[in-house]
Amino acid sequence: MSTPTSTPVDANLELTLGKRPELWSRFQSFYAALWADGHVSRRVLELCRLRVAAIHGCAAEWEYRTADVFIADTDVAALQRGDFQPFDHCEQAALQIAEKTPFQHQAITDAEVKAVENGYGPAATVALLTAIAFFDVRCRWHLTLN
Amino acid sequence: MSTTPRVTPPPHATTADFGTLMSYIGKPTAAFFDLYAEYWQRGVLPPDLKEITRLRNARVTDCGY
Repeated sequence: MSTPTSTPVDANLELTLGKRPELWSRFQSFYAALWADGHVSRRVLELCRLRVAAIHGCAAEWEYRTADVFIADTDVAALQRGDFQPFDHCEQAALQIAEKTPFQHQAITDAEVKAVENGYGPAATVALLTAIAFFDVRCRWHLTLN
Repeated sequence: MSTTPRVTPPPHATTADFGTLMSYIGKPTAAFFDLYAEYWQRGVLPPDLKEITRLRNARVTDCGY
């Protein structure tokens, strides 16, 4: 199994998680597979990743920008304050899930999940929900381990 | 504590459950289970401690699985 190249934001986690190299390399492969899956655009994933980072106040994830994904400065500012108006309705549906996942996951409604499915399809919904969960994991790791 | 999927299952699925939904994203799912197997099968933590924390986390997050 090939291990994806570590990004600068990974270096922070690798300080601790690298003590279990077999586990860390498998996590990197899994995380890379989420980004490479293709059912959800890298832009939407990045929007959700940044919103989760903002909710957690996780500087490590917030200050990192995923390669080849451009988010305008005005959109980044909107994400930081939780303003979803600049985004299209499908992106807003995705961001609504991202908004609730860290601390209100039990409040995610069937309608909110259906809104994502209506916008992106069922496969993308599964991909997005999974990815958001692990954006949350990464923030919690950054904040807990380092 | 629900275990009812909220997403439309794939056309080939005979049941709507965690496994059939995760089949939508085959490669990430395979990579996840490789990661999960590594966590459970190896490492320095005793299995019972891992299980206790897993169950506690499931209660806290209200995860039926």
